[in-house]
This record gives sequence, C-alpha cells and structure tokens, in this order.
Amino acid sequence: MRDTLPNYFLFDTQPEAHLTPEVIAEACRQLKRNRAQYLRDMPTDQLITHLSRLAGNWQDDLFPFRKMALDTGPSATGFSRSTLAHGLDRFFARITEDNLHNLIAQELGDCRRLDAPLSTPEERSENRLAFARGPELIGHIASGQLPCPTMMSMIQGLLVGSAQFIKCAENAGWLPTLFAHSLYDAHPKLGACIELAHWPGGQIDLESPLFDEADCITATGHDETLASIQTRINPHKRFIGYGHRVSFAYIHQDMLSRALSRDLAQRMAQDIASWNQLGCLSPHLVYVERGGAVRPEVFAEMIAEALDTLETTQPRGEISPEESGTIAYKRNFYEVRSAGAGDVRQWKSKEGTHWTVVFEEDPVFTTSCLNRFIHVKPIGDLEEMLRVAEMARGQVSTVGVAAPKNDTETIVKQLAHWGVTRVCPIGQMQDPPLGWRHDGRPPLGDLVTWTDWEQ
Amino acid sequence: MTFQSYNEADRSITRFIEQGDGDFETLALALHDLQARYVPAIAALCQNRGITPGSNHQIHQIPPIPTIAFRDMAITSIPEQDRIHHFESSGTTAAKPSHHWHHRKSLKLYETSLRLPFQKYVLNGKKWKGRILALTPLRTEAPNSSLAHMASHVLGSDTIHAAECCDNGWNINQHICDTACEQAILSDDPLLIFGPAFSFLHWLDATDTLHKLPQGSRIMETGGYKGRSRELPKNEFHKLLSERLSVPESHIVCEYGMCELGSQAYDREIGTRQERAFRFPHWAQPIIINPETGNPCAEGEIGLLRIIDLANVYSSVAIQTQDLARSVLDGFEVLGRDQAAEPRGCSLNLLQQT
Repeated sequence: MRDTLPNYFLFDTQPEAHLTPEVIAEACRQLKRNRAQYLRDMPTDQLITHLSRLAGNWQDDLFPFRKMALDTGPSATGFSRSTLAHGLDRFFARITEDNLHNLIAQELGDCRRLDAPLSTPEERSENRLAFARGPELIGHIASGQLPCPTMMSMIQGLLVGSAQFIKCAENAGWLPTLFAHSLYDAHPKLGACIELAHWPGGQIDLESPLFDEADCITATGHDETLASIQTRINPHKRFIGYGHRVSFAYIHQDMLSRALSRDLAQRMAQDIASWNQLGCLSPHLVYVERGGAVRPEVFAEMIAEALDTLETTQPRGEISPEESGTIAYKRNFYEVRSAGAGDVRQWKSKEGTHWTVVFEEDPVFTTSCLNRFIHVKPIGDLEEMLRVAEMARGQVSTVGVAAPKNDTETIVKQLAHWGVTRVCPIGQMQDPPLGWRHDGRPPLGDLVTWTDWEQ
Repeated sequence: MTFQSYNEADRSITRFIEQGDGDFETLALALHDLQARYVPAIAALCQNRGITPGSNHQIHQIPPIPTIAFRDMAITSIPEQDRIHHFESSGTTAAKPSHHWHHRKSLKLYETSLRLPFQKYVLNGKKWKGRILALTPLRTEAPNSSLAHMASHVLGSDTIHAAECCDNGWNINQHICDTACEQAILSDDPLLIFGPAFSFLHWLDATDTLHKLPQGSRIMETGGYKGRSRELPKNEFHKLLSERLSVPESHIVCEYGMCELGSQAYDREIGTRQERAFRFPHWAQPIIINPETGNPCAEGEIGLLRIIDLANVYSSVAIQTQDLARSVLDGFEVLGRDQAAEPRGCSLNLLQQT
C-alpha cells in the first residue's frame, strides 16, 4: 500500500517501521487533539452526508479506491475479485443517509441527540432533555479476516464523534486501511481522527498506552482473549467485548417444495460463499427438516450444485496450505465414512478444495472448517434442532431461517429464548442491516454516555 | 507381487524390516491390495474410487486412511474375537480417541519396528549401560498408551517411571524425576530420559531443578503438548532441557509417532552433527501431499504429511495425518502452528470436534 498511497497511517509504514509504546501514545494524543478540533462539534447531518457519499463512491466502478480494492485486494486479502466486489457492494449499499439517520434514531431516540440536548415525548413529560456524546478516543482490537466489521466499527465511531485507534487483525488490515485512505482523501479532517496499526497479539507494551489513552475499548476475539484484555483495562473505562460466534441455518419442511427449494439452495450457497464463510455470521451447518417434498439429502445436493455454479461467478480464491490441508483431510475422512456407510454423502469441487458439502444423518452440531465447506443434517423439528445444538448454546450469533410466514414468529421466539441474537432469511446471513445489534447489544448505545438536563 | 495371506505379508515385511530384503514400493502396493480385501473401510474406499487390485502403480496412489477415521471405525483386518489389545490416541478427554487394534502377531511386528530405530537413533546401536528415567507410566498402568508400551518395551525393566495415571492422562512426580537425576550424578552413570514434551515441562516448570547430568546422558522427547502445558518452539524447548539438565543439544533427539502408526521417525542420531529432520526407518516413507491437487508436493513445498508405513500390516499401510510438513534434506519437517498461517475465520475452540 505504501507504494501507491501516502503514509497517512502507521499501518502504511509497517512492517518496516518499528512501533514503540511512545509512538502509540503520541498517535493517541494526536488523534484526541484532531478530534477536538475537527470532529467533536461536526453536526451529525454533515457527518452523515460525508459518510453516505463516500459509501456511494465505493459502489462506483470508477472510484479509484474501489478499483484498488478489487485489483490489489485478491493478492492482499486472499479473497477473489468477485467475492470482494460482492461483499463490498452489499456492505456499502447499507451506508445510506436514511439508514444512518435511522440508526441514530433507533439508538438514541432522535437523530439530533449528538448535536444538542433535546427530548423525546417521554422525556418531555418529565421536563427533561438529554444529550449523548461518544468517547473521546475508542481503541478497537479487531480480529478475524473480514474487513466489514472493522469498517463498520469505524463508521459507528465517527457517527458518535470519536477518534479511533484500530489495532488490525493479522493479515486483515489492508482493506480497512484502504477505506481510511478513502476517508482521508474525501475529508482529511475526518481521516485525521483515525489511526490503524498492526502488531502481534499479546504485545502488552504496545497495548498499554492505547488502553491508557482511550476511554473506550472494543475487542473481538476468543472469550479467553477478551477476558485477558479486560483485566488490563482500568475498570472505570468502558470495555465492549464481542466473542467469536458461530451461525447456522434452519430450513422448515414446508419450504422444501419443488418450486421453492432450488432458489432456497442458491441463496444458501450465497451465504456460504460470502466472504468465504469466514465471518461469525456465516453458516457452519444447515439443519433441514424431514418431511418436505424435497428430502434433506436432495437439498444438500442442490446446495452443492449452487456452490459449483457460484465458483464460476464468485470463485473462492487461494487459501493457505493449512486451510486447504484441513479441507483435504476432512474430505478424506468423509470419503472413508461415506464409502463405508449409507448415512454420509459428500459432494465436492472437481478440482481443488473450492467447495464441499457433507450430508450426515447424525444430527449432532458440527462446526465447519470454513472456506466454503458446509455440513447439512436432517432434523425432525425445531425442538430437536435446539436439543442437538445445545453444545453451541450461548455462542450462536445468527440463525438463517426459511419457514412459512405464519410459523416464523413462534420460531424466532423459541430461538431468542434459547439464546440466538439474530434471525434472518436465508441469503442475508452475511449482510446484517446497519442497525444490527451485534451479540444483542446496541451498536451506538453501548458507545455513548448521556448527560440528562432537568429543567 | 501379491500377498495371498496375512501370514505371508507379515513374514515378508518382517524380513524387509530386519534385513532390508525386498523393494519398499512393491511391498507397499502388495500390502495395500491385501488390506483392500480384508479391511472393510479400505475395501469400501477402493470401491468408491474404482480401485481394483493391481491398479495402483505408485505409492502415493494408495488411498490413505485419515488418522481421525481410527476414532470412528475399526481400521483393522483383525477379526473382533482376535483383538487382544489396542492403542489409543492421547488428547483431551472431550475428544473421542483413536483405536489401533492389535493381536499377538501385530504386536510382535510393532515391537520389532519400535526397537530397531530406537537402538540406532537413541542408543547409537549400543547396549545402554546407564540409568533410565521414563516420564511415562508403567505399561500395566496405561495399557492403551503406545508411548508407555514403547517405554516398557525398548527401555527395559530397570527403568524408573515418574508418571502416575490420572483422569486426564498422567501426572509427573517431580520428586521421582529429581531423585533419579541426583542418583545418576552420585553414581556418575549417564541418564537416559524419555518422555513427551509436556511431561518435561510439567517437571521443569514446577521445580527449580538444575542438574548437571553425567556425560553421555541423553534425552528422547516425543514432541506434542496437546494443550497440557505451555508450548515452546522446538529450539527453545531443547535449549531449556539443555540448560536445566546439562544435556547438550546434540544429545537430545525428537521422535515423531502416533498411535495410528507402527513406525516412528527421529530427527537425528544422538551425538552426531546430523542436521535435524525427521527420518523414518527404511520400512516407512513420508509423502508430502499438495492438498489442492492430491499429488505429491514439489521439493520444499508445504503440504499434508502422509505416511506409507509397512509396519501397519494389519491396519492401513497409507495413513493421512493432519500435520503440515515440508521435505528437508533427506527427511521432513513438521510445521508447528507458529510457522503455519493462523487459521482464518470464526471458530470456537470448544466446538472443534474433528
């Protein structure tokens, strides 16, 4: 990136530049100065206009940063050009003026709450007003390979008027940094309120100045990582941790008609192919109810066909030897199992490890090795599914559901009581709306602090 | 070449192991054809791939059995009533262990396969005259541990065992370890210490042990932490052993083995300046497989380690491991997690079952 873009961010100078605690501390202090000067008092409307225009540009094929993302992205990120294009289009399509206004209104009751004290009708009846302000500096500890969660955090942080220091995940900082460059290019003052860098996990000496300077820390990662980070943060500061989660899909028997199932399988395949299944919202397995016109095994085969078609339009791209090694090893295992018994079947790409569908009669919850490797299992009904998925309870983010309209509300309530925080139609698992409550938490509400004004 | 019976295969392979009499590839292909007749999982796999006897011409074409399949199925030609013993993979209690079945003849072959390389790589082909400390339990206490079996078989009855079985494998009694070291120093007898890496760390991390073991002392460690202790890169681990026990790095050998294999690889002959690389004895060969193509990797390219092991007469001659490796020198190197790319994507440690 350094060769083609200016060195605005620490990330641009890495790995050559040596990060020290002093560099991090000074970067944090500069961010706070810039925020006070440029961002804190910027009217929300103006901010929203900037962000929505930028998002619009990212959907334009002629936008230089998009071109760079699609041209250089495959070698920098491992995602194929079409996977990147599809993922970026779906992401930026959500960042519209209306959606941004609605997000603030959803979270704060009124979209002007960050500009001045005002009241909702309920507050007015008590003769009080309230004003919300974001943290001075948010430190983000990102993880995972998907750029969208990091870019979403950046947008949400800007919306509440916070400077942000993002510690990118290994091999995952390229696209968020490119996005930050596009912001800097369009609005240098906003760009100056963001910093990005990468260092290997566990470098406490580099994290300490960030934790000292920031008044809010967000982190994504394994539960143990989050617990360890939390112990190093002053308890008076705000800490928002998002644990790794898994997602799966549930197909009701009534949706398995001959007319509907092929389209459903295609949408299922898109959920599997989006970002190569690497996000917390991507399905690890698909539970298919028995009793429909199309048997679960036949539905699995339809998903395989759809994945094969998608490989021509949205190829998966290259993956590391460890990832392809795991897929090859698992394929070998399921080949042995399917050869020896009738309760397992496997479909796979003719060459390479591009996609794999494994159908197993055994309904026990199974996680996938990802990169377009999906398990399909038959199930009697929703109750049975929740019983066999018990081992994943509390760690599930999204359940993609295909069910008749009349049944869906009951299903959603059951899933919610079981602990699921997001239910969506098949085909949208990797595309949460802007107002999505990550892990069931309010996206902006968790960031802001209120000042009530009683009159 | 074809084997008409397991007796014939056992005889020919034992002769090959002991005297080098025969051709590795011919024996491996013939053994596979025999297994394809008598091991149900291999028979089904061959049928699935359309492989008929004699249709394979190269050893990498032999359909491998992944180690994980030993968890779910009996990968053996030994009829149920004749199975007198099995070895289990060690690991977390949550995971179902692999089972490698044996009868008297297969155990005899296994022990032959264990003994010869151990004598060469660890004892330099000589009779050991020093003391022996095993960081494993007695075979009678952990009958299904292939490592405990190996220790009992190759080390002899004078061995001091410093491990005691517990729910999650075994615990090390540090006092026994330290006493064994002190006695060796007092009598000026070299000490041979044998055990998995995590057991060494359980001992050394729990004590301030600092021994100056007599010259000629040596260590055989089998790698593998299995989440039971902190993990160290191999060179740091060897440095620690060397510093705390005064055993020079030239006298530390690392072994690569697993319960699904009848043979083990060693990364150098003790006391020599041989560059470290795992080498199997002449009756087993590693093949590094490109996971994308299924074909052997080019020299030095990273791939999945597959082992063609003639000592697996009664199970599967081709074993597919989940280890990433690359060929180096005349052997191979297993890549630790620190050298391989971090896995991408969301996964939950607790949920990874396979």
